[in-house]
Amino acid sequence: MAISPSSGRSSVRAEPNVTPMIDVMLVLLIIFMIIVPTIQTSFKAIPPNGANLKPAPEEDDDQILGIDANGQYFLNRQPIHNDALGRMLDDIYSKRTKDKILFIKADKGLQYGKVLDALDVAEHNGVRKAAMVTDQAPGTISKIAADRINPSATDANSTGTGENP
Amino acid sequence: MAMSTGGGGSSFNAEPNVTPMIDVLLVLLIIFMLIVPMSRKAIDLQLPDPTQTPNATPNTDQIVLEVGKDGSYMINKQVVPHPDLDRKLHEVYDRRPDKILFIKGDTLAAYQTIIEAMDVARGAGVQAIGVPPKNIN
Repeated sequence: MAISPSSGRSSVRAEPNVTPMIDVMLVLLIIFMIIVPTIQTSFKAIPPNGANLKPAPEEDDDQILGIDANGQYFLNRQPIHNDALGRMLDDIYSKRTKDKILFIKADKGLQYGKVLDALDVAEHNGVRKAAMVTDQAPGTISKIAADRINPSATDANSTGTGENP
Repeated sequence: MAMSTGGGGSSFNAEPNVTPMIDVLLVLLIIFMLIVPMSRKAIDLQLPDPTQTPNATPNTDQIVLEVGKDGSYMINKQVVPHPDLDRKLHEVYDRRPDKILFIKGDTLAAYQTIIEAMDVARGAGVQAIGVPPKNIN
């Protein structure tokens, strides 16, 4: 494939022939561009929009519960029986000693009751914290992006009157 | 791509120099590989502890935001119009040390409306959002 025979022997060329490498790279790029969306087509959910969101970079041991517009559950992108969710979450979270957090990526058109059902199953099977995956609404900036870095920033507003409403 | 024209010309090199293009493409590829997982955003919720039995006498100090079926807001049973929610929450939480809000959404409400309420609450300084257990009405 595209080997240019070094015919001109008048001068010594010390440069490596990168053309095959480029060919391979471009083919790999195209393959990945095609494969990535097809992996994700099994689970489709448009998360709701919000402005004041907290960044949640993906990590290897994240557990993601997807709920598509029909209420079908996907655990880490694999479709599962809705009844099996409790058992599977229990398997995962009973072995964990920290970070009992479950990411929930639910379709924005769902009834809240369907999300509550999932939260209810999760809380009874070892999940302590749910992170609702949301998209940043276009043109908005999160007020709490630096929440963890400077937690006292919001406390500065409190005047310390000591009374609760 | 990679057309080797008749190689007789020893002095003329008619091939385009694709090396800078590859460099740029590879850098772009790496940047996108890094950015896509980093860009996820979420709203954290605290889930109730199922081993704890609910108190017979509920804590009167806590603040509950109810979201109705039609997306209407009620803070501790008091109706709050949509545009006032942010101001009202600021009023409450600016002078309150524990920034916990319970959000009780109607099961028939759209998920997006609940998230909007959570979103406004986070913007108003609420640091922990709790979801009441499902069997409590």
